[in-house]
Amino acid sequence: MPDHIVSSYDTDLEDLRRSISEMGGVAEKMMTDATEALVRRDTGLAQAVIVADKRLDTLQREIEERSVLLIARRQPLAIDLRETISSIRVSGDLERIGDLAKNIAKRVVAIADQPQPQKIVLGVQHMSDLVQEQLKDVLDAYGSRDIKAAHDVWERDGAIDALYNSLFRELLTYMMEDPRNISFCTHLLFCAKNVERIGDHTTNIAETIEYLVTGENPAGERPKNDASNYATVTPAA
Amino acid sequence: MSASPALRSQLSGRNPADESAPVRIAVKGLNFYYGQFHGLKNVDLNFHDRQVTALIGPSGCGKSTLLRTFNRIYSLYPEQRAEGQILLDGQNVLDPKIDLNELRSRIGMVFQKPTPFPMSIYDNVAFGLRLYEKLPKSELDGRVEDSLRKAALWEEVKDKLKQSGMGLSGGQQQRLCIARSVAQRPEVILFDEPTSALDPISTGRIEELIEQLRAEFTIVIVTHNMQQAARISQFTAFMYLGEVIEFGPTTKIFMNPEKRQTQDYITGRFG
Repeated sequence: MPDHIVSSYDTDLEDLRRSISEMGGVAEKMMTDATEALVRRDTGLAQAVIVADKRLDTLQREIEERSVLLIARRQPLAIDLRETISSIRVSGDLERIGDLAKNIAKRVVAIADQPQPQKIVLGVQHMSDLVQEQLKDVLDAYGSRDIKAAHDVWERDGAIDALYNSLFRELLTYMMEDPRNISFCTHLLFCAKNVERIGDHTTNIAETIEYLVTGENPAGERPKNDASNYATVTPAA
Repeated sequence: MSASPALRSQLSGRNPADESAPVRIAVKGLNFYYGQFHGLKNVDLNFHDRQVTALIGPSGCGKSTLLRTFNRIYSLYPEQRAEGQILLDGQNVLDPKIDLNELRSRIGMVFQKPTPFPMSIYDNVAFGLRLYEKLPKSELDGRVEDSLRKAALWEEVKDKLKQSGMGLSGGQQQRLCIARSVAQRPEVILFDEPTSALDPISTGRIEELIEQLRAEFTIVIVTHNMQQAARISQFTAFMYLGEVIEFGPTTKIFMNPEKRQTQDYITGRFG
């Protein structure tokens, strides 16, 4: 795309892109580290994740401010307007992803001295690996404006919901086997839920990419396979 | 961009781009020449009834030329000629047999710089009426007041109708010119950059006024202000080098234009 006649306009948009990309990097690392900390019961790493969230919050506020200023000063239109709006949306999703990763890290600290065998954690680890892949793909797609890659991410979210559902049942079984597992498994369940929500935010970003490139919001329902609401109680009718 | 159906129904109460509105002016295969220079090239464009259509494009792209063909102002200059058709309610205004005075009372025009006549406010508005219609004094008074009200100027000038129109502020002068056009009860009003010489407050008044006038008239506006086109028009045509590059509902043009050239221009990337 040719440059703007006003070169500082390009600088403004470039700054937004760079901040989003930095946020993406921080959020990705927080998620990887939180999972790693959970698997290794590494409270030091968990603390580092908690601290990293501050940077993410700062970046998000900066992006919001930059976007507001850009709208006020340049009145962006067409692709520039969509890019500005997309920056606000994506930074919001990344900020939430950071919060959820931080929440996992806090739970790592809480369950650090519990004696449960590590194999219980494997399911959450596997799910987290999938979501990390999703997050990486969607950030790449945002950078390269790749609508096809974004759509792939969007479609794969259903599988993650399904995985969360089976994990929910698995953890329930551990709890029923031995009530001493309840505290640990409840924390794990929340971790799994956090991972699943990170997946949802990843899907949001995929939708934003479609809006950014085409100007249209994706048609049709999101793929949804989360049946854990009904895992213990089935609605009457 | 297409809004969701629910949002569309909310917005349509305010700012519909009504593609089913009858076509008031149909331009067909229009070519225009300034001597040897080919100023408009095969322009095909429809202007819908009671809609505001904005013409945008860089200087020299032919927007003002197109506007000037509608009421044949160009025919003042012998070396300028138009070929093709401009159908106003089915009647070709380029037809040499057409009565120019009648045409110009049907298609009013407001220019970039306010052009009040050097006479009183009242006489400015009554000028065309006295020329073409023999009205009794009371009826003339009524038409003048009505026109000044429609131009949102009445409250400001009702006590000084005998004073010169030249004494008004720039924004007021522009509204006086609008009142003068409106007085003829035209079908179409052409605005050629009507606010480019005005401050933001006067500009706001004119924009508000155009929105109101839309209830009665078909409006065509040439503007260099993208945001103004986005705010006040229902349809937008982007022109470049004498051609219409893209025409469509304004929201579509400014959110998600089809053509690369349109996007480059409205986002300020034109090289």
